[in-house]
Amino acid sequence: MLNTKTKGLLALVTVVVCVSLAFAFMVNRASAHKVAHDSETLQAFTDAFMEQVIRGDNLFHGGTEPGINLSNTGMACAMCHPFSSDIHPHEFPKFQEQMSEFATLRDMINWCIEKPNEGEIIDPDGEQMKALEAYMYWSNRGSVLDPGRH
Amino acid sequence: MPEKKQGSSDKVVGGNVDITRRTFLHKSLLTGGAIATGSAVGFFQTLSSMEVANAAGESFSFAWVSDTHLYPQTLNQRFIDKATRAFGEVQAMGSEFDFMIFGGDLAQRGDPVELELGAELLKEVTIQKHFIPGEHDWYLDLGEAWNQHFGESPWSFEHKGVLIIGLDTVGSAPDYWSARGMTPKERMGHMEALDGSQAGPWSGLGSKNRQWLSSALSDWPKDAPVIIFSHTPLWECYAPWNFWIRDWRQVHEIIAPWQNITNVHGHVHQPLYNEIGGMRSIGMLATSWPWPYAPQGVPEITKPMLRVDPGDHFDGVGWGKLSMADGYMDNEYMMWREQVFGTTRADSGTGDNQNQVLSPRIADRGWTGD
Ligand code: HEC
Ligand SMILES: [Fe+2]
Ligand SMILES: [Fe+2]
Repeated sequence: MLNTKTKGLLALVTVVVCVSLAFAFMVNRASAHKVAHDSETLQAFTDAFMEQVIRGDNLFHGGTEPGINLSNTGMACAMCHPFSSDIHPHEFPKFQEQMSEFATLRDMINWCIEKPNEGEIIDPDGEQMKALEAYMYWSNRGSVLDPGRH
Repeated sequence: MPEKKQGSSDKVVGGNVDITRRTFLHKSLLTGGAIATGSAVGFFQTLSSMEVANAAGESFSFAWVSDTHLYPQTLNQRFIDKATRAFGEVQAMGSEFDFMIFGGDLAQRGDPVELELGAELLKEVTIQKHFIPGEHDWYLDLGEAWNQHFGESPWSFEHKGVLIIGLDTVGSAPDYWSARGMTPKERMGHMEALDGSQAGPWSGLGSKNRQWLSSALSDWPKDAPVIIFSHTPLWECYAPWNFWIRDWRQVHEIIAPWQNITNVHGHVHQPLYNEIGGMRSIGMLATSWPWPYAPQGVPEITKPMLRVDPGDHFDGVGWGKLSMADGYMDNEYMMWREQVFGTTRADSGTGDNQNQVLSPRIADRGWTGD
């Protein structure tokens, strides 16, 4: 049996906990937009991005990861696309002649895995696909966005 | 004049001139209406001395094959198929050729198994063969297996009034491996990636080879033709991919007095053409795969190749047929497709690059040894 005082205290604690939780939740969710970014935060964002760029760079240059097989010919993407040249991420989506259909960059990545590389296509929303995409965009940064271009 | 040049070219290619696959190497051909690239007129002024240079010399043809990039057979059959096709075609036309030059990158990883496989496939060609190394042949054992199989370079000989030189532009890389404690395999691994960050400006002659070149040329008449074979181009096309030799300035000083030099090179895996002083430089096809053009484009006098179909591994590759007649060099790209050059933006291998800005790779930059 709790006495009134204890009940009151419990209620107070509950309220405090709830408010602070809500506050913490709000801060966590909204700080990206409501609070000015300090350089550490920005660095953390960059690191998270560059980690994927480096991962994609390695995959693009013949690196392997468990569960995927990007090539069965010994050829890595970079052997035909040095510096990610001729990948043209800034031109997608577009009608892709090789596929005879309207395609995204991810479609074309999988097409090149399948055709020239004779590898096994990867999950279009999977981690490796995102990493490959990160590397391609990063190494083509500064290119002029020009979707649909052949 | 144009008629005469056209005639001599006809003779060389057996009467059936397919102008779409050839690099015309003389002004009179370009102005003679042979091709319709309006920008081509007038580039060859510096070479007008060629018109009489070798009038007395006997004409001859030879074949160029390079960049087969063979893997062990268990890993990749395609490259074997393409190399075999090139060697077979050269052999079939063998009576047309005085010799065949293999221009380097026979192997992909310098693996003795790959070099032996290459040596085996090369037996198909029974005409005289000459060899210069590529970086892929070299950096596992620093040329040991290559030299055993195919002999040392540089070399030179005189052939029908032409001085023919084969250079080694790959073997004198600044040492990027010792200080970092790389194993031979790691050294080769970094060399293997064209766009790698660790192997540095590996392409060059170096002082020893430059000295050799000076003395090889010294007795040769300044107006007589010279053909220089090299794996990498003897000019600066694009340093980050070693589409150059790092000491091209010194080399150009050495060769400057000779007015009729033709440099035929591999490594770029693409039709490429330039002229500097008395030297014209021709980039040859690979049999293995084509590289994209360097991001900054090609010299105006290059006719860029057509865009390649990545779904057809015989596309954009092949070998080369070169002829020397009356002092004129003629080159025919034996590409395994109908049309070689792209004339419009949409078809050209460089046309799509105008919005493209590229950065060097990053994942191998911080390599400190492991
Ligand atoms: C054997 C050479 C080769 C290999 C290996 C290769 N590609 Fe390609 N790829 C090409 C060629 C050639 C094109 C066509 C370029 C053009 O149309 O300008 C192309 C086109 C592309 C395009 C579309 C570019 C455009 O503008 O249409 C993407 C994306 C691409 N490749 C991604 C990759 C990826 C990812 C890999 C590795 C899994 C890879 N490629 C491996 C040769 C290759
Ligand atoms: Fe090569
Ligand atoms: Fe090479």
